[in-house]
Amino acid sequence: MGIDFLILMKHEWLLIAIIFILLFIKVGSKEWKNESILNLINILLLFNCIVGFFWNEGGILFNEMFKTDALIAAEKNILNLGTYIISLQSYSWLKNHKHVLEFYMLLLSTLAGMFFMISAGNLLMFYLGLELSSIPLAAIANFDLEKRKSSEAAFKFIISSAFSSGLLLFGISLMYGATGTIIFSELSQQLNGSPLQIFAFILLIAGFAFKISAVPFHLWTADVYEGAPVAVTSYLSVISKGAVLFVFVSVLYEVFKPLAETWYNVLFLLSVLTMIIGNLFAIRQNNLKRFLAFSSIAQVGFILIGISGNSQTGAASVVYFVLIYIFSNLGAFGVISLVSALTGKENIDDYKAFYKTNKLLSWVLAISLFSLAGIPPTAGFFGKFFLLMAGAGQGNYLLITIAALNMIVSLYYYLKVVKAIFMDTNETPIEKITIPSLPKLALFICMAGIVLTGLMSYVYEYIFSLISAF
Amino acid sequence: MSEITVTHILFVSTALFFTGMYGLFTRRNMITMLMSVELILNSVNINFVAFNKYLYPGKLDGVFFTIFVITIAAAEAAVAIAIIINLYRSHHSIDVEDASELKY
Amino acid sequence: MGASSLIVLFFAAIAFSVGGISIAKIFVKGVKNPQKGQAYECGIPATGSPWHQFNVGYYLFALIFLIFDVELVFMYPWAVVVKQTGLTALIEILIFIFILFMGFLYAHKKGALKWM
Repeated sequence: MGIDFLILMKHEWLLIAIIFILLFIKVGSKEWKNESILNLINILLLFNCIVGFFWNEGGILFNEMFKTDALIAAEKNILNLGTYIISLQSYSWLKNHKHVLEFYMLLLSTLAGMFFMISAGNLLMFYLGLELSSIPLAAIANFDLEKRKSSEAAFKFIISSAFSSGLLLFGISLMYGATGTIIFSELSQQLNGSPLQIFAFILLIAGFAFKISAVPFHLWTADVYEGAPVAVTSYLSVISKGAVLFVFVSVLYEVFKPLAETWYNVLFLLSVLTMIIGNLFAIRQNNLKRFLAFSSIAQVGFILIGISGNSQTGAASVVYFVLIYIFSNLGAFGVISLVSALTGKENIDDYKAFYKTNKLLSWVLAISLFSLAGIPPTAGFFGKFFLLMAGAGQGNYLLITIAALNMIVSLYYYLKVVKAIFMDTNETPIEKITIPSLPKLALFICMAGIVLTGLMSYVYEYIFSLISAF
Repeated sequence: MSEITVTHILFVSTALFFTGMYGLFTRRNMITMLMSVELILNSVNINFVAFNKYLYPGKLDGVFFTIFVITIAAAEAAVAIAIIINLYRSHHSIDVEDASELKY
Repeated sequence: MGASSLIVLFFAAIAFSVGGISIAKIFVKGVKNPQKGQAYECGIPATGSPWHQFNVGYYLFALIFLIFDVELVFMYPWAVVVKQTGLTALIEILIFIFILFMGFLYAHKKGALKWM
């Protein structure tokens, strides 16, 4: 204990300190201007992001409730970076908003919840982190307070997340009944594949699949993504999904290792359905946020292939892909959030001849979409390549073939947007947008990330070297 | 009269779980849907306490899980009701059929 | 305690409820006045239908009450072990109460505790 416990929980302490600083500002008597609050918060988040890279040690705290190691610290740093980019991007939306402090308090508490979830060594801590990361998200999905769609989206989100955590909890309770423990390390020794354990495990997977919106459980995703404010949508699609995927990998690989045969079949089914349905529905969308929602469902299908690999490559490729996915998806969402905050236009048809008026933003959007589609010079290609390679390690070439065919389908709809931007004509294109400096910085980070993480091979090698379970 | 075993209690909790699920899928009033979710969470609580008492009486894991589930259910209900109030302000209704702008 | 005693109890329960009602029917003279039919026999006469909409302010109070009420459930296990654990437990519960108090201050600052 002592100093140990301060350093091991460093990421969480920093976030909680920032939340309390904001709370003190809120209850204090001095009135702050929105701009100065936003600048202060962005500086604090940058500090948080940088400190995250230092003093990372492994250790176990509180009777195995909290564990951390180099991989977990790297995952937390990835999430920190993504949150910082989103915070920079939402500058133009939040500048005129009445409840900036509340927005950041809720946002950062969800991030703290994800950190606790990733570090959980115990089903109770895991459940608490999951709920802390999903309940405040429903509240910030409603942050366009006067918009009808926003509150509808928030209601759909809270009901479906409550239902999914109900399923997850029922699974946890049966698992507790079957094994008599809720500590991960003891749990994995007790698993023997009895019917009750399999049943509990399937319920657990259903709860997870809800959170990462894999296909039979994806129905809330598109509605919530369309209705919520753009900043919240990008947070949901990248950070919250990424955090649950990190936990999913570590839970499947470390805790449910004895049931590997079972979960391989489940993942096979889930990933095939997710890819096909996500791609087919993405083709017919006209709202860009909804389009990115379905494309993100399809991406989860690819990630599930990587997870099904059940090897060191599998875990490394998932972490690497989430890192790339953060850059590419946030690049796309950054452009959409700028356009949406200034003109309110979100449809693909509105983006026709976007290149005529906004050259820089068009290139950013196009490169992000290329990276999402997985076209070679961008990082997205390498991410998908490693995912498929990990999946191929199981020797199931049917799955890899389906994935390759789906990549071709996905190319069609990503290029449809690019065609609308560069080739189509439009009498009333979106007018010239002046980009404020903070969102410009965010777009620059995204572009640099897309190019550099793909070209520099040591990023993947570093992540690969962190994984010690195999 | 036979002893009440863990099977009987599991029967009750499973029935409660599926009652909640049925209510969630058929009811059209938002508050009632929320109540159905609470039923699901309470069936989980019964499960935990029953397992703890009958199978693992030496440890307290199940009881502590129950305490946390109760508080989180309360927080969830509070946020959901706040969202419903906000939705009522714009839609003037808490019927889910009326909140149907987001489709396909 | 076998099944037979349960049956006896069951009949006793029926006897109590049915018996009470029928004794009242037999012995009490039927006094019929409008006061009798009301929901509350004393106090201010109730007006209007009970099925009207309540002020939304009630829900806000209910929400705040709900949160602070339920958080106290953590005090029960704490109260059981506080003597054995000593100072650590005291500091931990003070941190917990401090966080709750910050939430309370926030609600106060937002004016949620004022009646509209």
